[in-house]
Amino acid sequence: MSKEIVLTILFMTAVTYGARVIPFILLRNMSLGGFWKSFISLVPVALLAALVIPELLISPENKIGLLNPFLIAGISTFIFARKVPNLFYSVLFGMLVFWGVDKII
Amino acid sequence: MDTKGFSYGLQKSITIGIGYAPVAITFGILSLQSGLTIWEAGLMSLFVFAGAAQFIALQLIAQGATIWVIGLTTLIVNIRHVLMSFSMIRFFPGISLGRLSLLAQGLTDESFVLNSKLLEDIGTPEERSRVALGVNIGAFLSWVIFTFVGAWLGKQMAITFSGFNFALLALFIVLTVGIVNRSNIFTYLFAGIIAVILKILIPGKVYLLLSVGIAATAGALIEYYRGSQENLEIKHE
Repeated sequence: MSKEIVLTILFMTAVTYGARVIPFILLRNMSLGGFWKSFISLVPVALLAALVIPELLISPENKIGLLNPFLIAGISTFIFARKVPNLFYSVLFGMLVFWGVDKII
Repeated sequence: MDTKGFSYGLQKSITIGIGYAPVAITFGILSLQSGLTIWEAGLMSLFVFAGAAQFIALQLIAQGATIWVIGLTTLIVNIRHVLMSFSMIRFFPGISLGRLSLLAQGLTDESFVLNSKLLEDIGTPEERSRVALGVNIGAFLSWVIFTFVGAWLGKQMAITFSGFNFALLALFIVLTVGIVNRSNIFTYLFAGIIAVILKILIPGKVYLLLSVGIAATAGALIEYYRGSQENLEIKHE
């Protein structure tokens, strides 16, 4: 293993594990109500939107483009996953549609 | 009441584990193409265990980025785990720090979404921590094992398949189907719109954290405001 890569991995681990564990250490005795309760229950939803929607709409040239394989495969995967609630099949389906559309466009 | 524990969580993790398989195999294959060895790919999955950051790191390594750039990018991409971890605390009052720090390593977008749904219906913090451990370990094992499988495949043959570019996104989209509903669709769409705007305006990955923070705040303010209005109406009656 190259020393450079191992150091990179260790650095990535430190920042990632830090982000995972620090709230557990610092805030574990806190009880939340009202606003904060709503806030934390909405984080997963907001996160999925932020991870997915820009990738589907923005091209590598940093412009919004609707006729791109990501958006077409994304919408197809969404519809497929609603009909077939199976993570594995849905992920494979998405990859295949992307591959097909990417070849055509 | 029947108690639920580690094996229940492990059983529930199968959906994530199976969903991770194509993504982790993709990661393994791309690792080799980016110049990593099988063991380096496996080590990264074992230690970092964060899909999006690992894929970005491969790109950066292939481009010859420095350790510092990769570390900082990882921090920006993964700082969202602070929000997820913060959001999980409510399930584990009184659980020891030792067990919490074990649970922390298993925190990913997928395990977080599944645990958030699952743990609502489980009675005690002790049971919840066992179930979450089962979920996390199941997902973790799948990610690590299938990384090795992918890296091994990548070593046997040159595989070029553009579908790899969509593996991680497909996983996120399928998760979306399970958690977006009428009560949170506003936050979802709002986060999406802000993320698109910020991604165009700000280089790098900061848009992830900003859009999640802004949209969850807006959604929570609306819920909070509605809640206090309903309370007022009840008092008036």
